[in-house]
Amino acid sequence: MIWAKEETLPRAEIEKIQLEKLKKTVAYIYEKVLPYRKKMDAAGVKPEEIRTLEDLKRLPFTYKSDFRDNYPDGLFAVEKKELVRYHASSGTTGKPTVVGYTRNDLDMWLNNVARIACMGGATSEDVAQISFGYGTFTGALGLHGGLEKLGASVIPMSSGNTNKQIMFLQDMGVTLLVATPSYALHLGEQLRERGIDPKKDLKLHIGLFGGEGMTEPMRDEMHKVWGEQFVCTQNYGMSELCGPGVSGECTELCGMHVNEDWFIPEIIDPKTEEVLPPGAHGELVVTCLGKEALPLVRYRTGDLTKLMYEPCKCGRTTCRMENISGRADDMLVIRGVNVFPTQIEEVLLKIAEIGPHYEILVERKNRLDVMTITVELIDDRLLDSYGQLSELEQRIKAALKAQLGLATQIKLVAPNSLQRFEGKAKRVTDLRKDGL
Amino acid sequence: MKQISVFVENQPGSLMRVTSALNEARINIRAIASFDTPEFGILRLVVEQPEKAKEFLTEKGFVVRVQEVVGAELKDEKGNLNEMLKVLADQGISVGYIYSFVIRENKAPVMVFHSDDNVKAEAALKEAGILLIKDDEL
Repeated sequence: MIWAKEETLPRAEIEKIQLEKLKKTVAYIYEKVLPYRKKMDAAGVKPEEIRTLEDLKRLPFTYKSDFRDNYPDGLFAVEKKELVRYHASSGTTGKPTVVGYTRNDLDMWLNNVARIACMGGATSEDVAQISFGYGTFTGALGLHGGLEKLGASVIPMSSGNTNKQIMFLQDMGVTLLVATPSYALHLGEQLRERGIDPKKDLKLHIGLFGGEGMTEPMRDEMHKVWGEQFVCTQNYGMSELCGPGVSGECTELCGMHVNEDWFIPEIIDPKTEEVLPPGAHGELVVTCLGKEALPLVRYRTGDLTKLMYEPCKCGRTTCRMENISGRADDMLVIRGVNVFPTQIEEVLLKIAEIGPHYEILVERKNRLDVMTITVELIDDRLLDSYGQLSELEQRIKAALKAQLGLATQIKLVAPNSLQRFEGKAKRVTDLRKDGL
Repeated sequence: MKQISVFVENQPGSLMRVTSALNEARINIRAIASFDTPEFGILRLVVEQPEKAKEFLTEKGFVVRVQEVVGAELKDEKGNLNEMLKVLADQGISVGYIYSFVIRENKAPVMVFHSDDNVKAEAALKEAGILLIKDDEL
């Protein structure tokens, strides 16, 4: 099923909608958002000079750092009373990236999520278990609202508590699971360990995955664990753009269809910032069309991918993005949570008993991400007892948990045992291969 | 008396690196203790010239702490350790850890321990007639 007629328009008509909305968006952001107006003035572009889609490339980029510089709501285009929702995601340092929605924004967002759910095979018959963590993360409430719009019945399970997850899957006849792909694999294996065969014993047949990328080897594993009948697709989004609902895979599994009447994707070379032709690999830049609370023009997502414009067998004419192949910056995705090493560094620098050097190791154990941070102990006073050393460990863990929302492992080592770098430090080792 | 505590990681050779550094500094080790803990450990030593040992090891990149502990000389007779511990228990003193000397030639064995109240422990042991050892009596 295809949710909206805009998904199947001829290219010329999609572009006509895009151009019309782009002109309005640029005029709107220029009028309402001072930081972006300043950027446009500095670049010497006036809203009325945007006459074709080609003119998009004349507009300045928006960066994640713009959110930090205008924290919390300096990029918002509406008064507080117009807002009906806030969400937040990781910032590059201590302060989160805060986003806001008007009622129309929420409606647009959740409609786009309904499209994505539809692409993945969901219908109003489905019973959907949302195993994303709720809270300010857009994933859970985004899929929650989108699936409700579709008419599915939603179980707001949230993350963790595997026993309860399994009980609901069994007792409620759940047909659709929303989770990170790694958690879905973990959950599937836990089911099998309990002697439950998902293919025979459960009604689950659809997985809508997000929060982190799903590689093809992960999809193969997914079928091994959940059975061949399990249709698993992934979708893409980020809170700055709205949350999930930017793009998603249809069941043909040939890339994620972009909701192009709401988002204009571009691919650029992250170094030269030059716009690359269709099919070229580079950093995804997205312009949001028609958002009221937080209009964004040419947002640098940091995600590396390519765009494909050939029509899809599913009937949709919207362009497709390939699986995200990596990042243009050093952001890590840990259990679906975005983590910037600078956030970790900020926490560690405030703890006097340890040195300024650190290393981050990311592994996948039992399908779940484990992040170990190695730091150098420098304060000899803690050697009076093990209790003091372990108190330090707990204190570091708690501070990181508060900052990242994630549990981490801490390894204390002797001073000068971590590698010193001249120039750009390589502090992160990611041992996850193909997401497995 | 004083002991030194050295932070060591759980990996082959980490204790040896400490003893080898002390060897290089020509500092004698009188007693040594470490316990099996995950990830990292605290190596505790009684050495001659603890301040010099700290200085030397710190220069070599170790984290080192010099700390007051109680050293009690026991006659090598049945029940003497028990007697000492009973004195402490009767006073409600909690022993954090205890270890003994490696070699003392012909002298009586010495127990080294750290408690939640070393001053009280020393007084109680003295009262009970147990000989306490000072750094310069090693």
